[in-house]
Amino acid sequence: MSKIQEVASAVEMGKSKIVGGLTQEALNEGASAVDVLNAMIDAMGVVGEKFKNNEIFVPEMLVAARAMKKGVEVLKPHLASGEAGKAGKVIIGTVAGDLHDIGKNLVAMMIESAGFEVIDLGVDVPTEKFLEALKANPDVKIVALSALLTTTMPAMKATVEALNALENRGAIKVMVGGAPITQAFADEIGADAYTADAASAAQKAKELAA
Amino acid sequence: MIIIGEKINGSIPVVAEAIANRDAEFIKNRAIMQAEANASFIDCCASVPEEQEVETLHWMIDCIQEVTDLPISVDSPSPAVLAEAYKFCKRPGLFNSVSGEGNKLDTIFPIMAQPGNEKWEVIALLSDDTGIPKSAADRLRVFEKIMAKAKEYGIAPSRIHVDPLVEMLCTSENGIETNIEVIKTVRAQYPDIHITAAVSNISFNLPVRKLINLGFLVLAMNAGLDSAIMDPVNRDMLGMVYSTEALLGLDDYCMEYIGAYRDGLIGPKK
Repeated sequence: MSKIQEVASAVEMGKSKIVGGLTQEALNEGASAVDVLNAMIDAMGVVGEKFKNNEIFVPEMLVAARAMKKGVEVLKPHLASGEAGKAGKVIIGTVAGDLHDIGKNLVAMMIESAGFEVIDLGVDVPTEKFLEALKANPDVKIVALSALLTTTMPAMKATVEALNALENRGAIKVMVGGAPITQAFADEIGADAYTADAASAAQKAKELAA
Repeated sequence: MIIIGEKINGSIPVVAEAIANRDAEFIKNRAIMQAEANASFIDCCASVPEEQEVETLHWMIDCIQEVTDLPISVDSPSPAVLAEAYKFCKRPGLFNSVSGEGNKLDTIFPIMAQPGNEKWEVIALLSDDTGIPKSAADRLRVFEKIMAKAKEYGIAPSRIHVDPLVEMLCTSENGIETNIEVIKTVRAQYPDIHITAAVSNISFNLPVRKLINLGFLVLAMNAGLDSAIMDPVNRDMLGMVYSTEALLGLDDYCMEYIGAYRDGLIGPKK
């Protein structure tokens, strides 16, 4: 097995203690940082696929993402700036009035592992804050909104409507998710995509940003 | 959780028969089963008349060491037997057991203090010449006596598995209150010490013993139990060990729990 493959398999297995060391060894052996990064992203793709197929559990996906983070830390000084998030920028947050963050964090982690730079606005994020973040980062490709309560679905609707009213709406994609959210609701409020879980969200984000 | 596998004990009739017939395959098989079920130690108890005990343990220990590298818990009520039989072990194990009774401490602790034996551990029962003290306070007095001796011989608390002595629930007046009080007090005084228990003792003479054993395990682990003399091949017991460790926050990301499931050790048999 090549060093790069070893890194990928350690990420897949969530071996965060050894990923950093293996990454360094791969670099020492002359592997390019970009190749190592791509191998990690692919490994996380495999992890996401397994999760979607009910082959692994949520914590196994979490430890894989944590392991990748350790590898990326080693790669960072060797990557051209922006390379680690070269798939694009994503703004993510849980909508106003909603304090749930576990699902949102999971999605953020998987999207980051898919090669994006993630700007996480946290929970209970009012519409204005999304708009401000978008203004401050005109190169954002995706805005991802989470709502975990039926009572905060209207807040999601309001935020999506505000985004849809933007002049440069065509430059961004809006993704929504959360337990009560459905494809029908996403269509109704004018979002570009709905996904049911973190792995699908990362995959969808890649498609939308391509 | 430290699991001391209890399946090789001459007080179990089928094991006694295998020992009498010198059925090595039977003993080896039980050692393998327990090793595969993630036991930390393989307990080895002959349960034969004392004059045959050393020789019998020698044969049993050889059987076990032929099939697994796990350390052995050398189990005998006689300190003289323990002092002989531990020499048959290829690697440091566990003396099972000492107590405040007779000359047990003064026989075993000096052996543990000898150069080369620094990795040997010991189970210390909280009984003394008066038998099993009824109250938690009296058991804790035995504990203090044992720890004073340990200090004298330079035995670190991390080498001691304190057994608060589990008695049958069906005749207890206060459930497991005494055990819980002892476990909590010992744990508070010595964060590094091990606290163990022969779990299945709790359910003697009750129907559906499994339910009592499982409940006891959870409550005792919650109080500070981190070691147990039990059957690791029992999937319900082992499953409860892993789930309770996760619930107590001792299992990062539930990875041990998930790993045990993946390895087919817990949950429905595939």
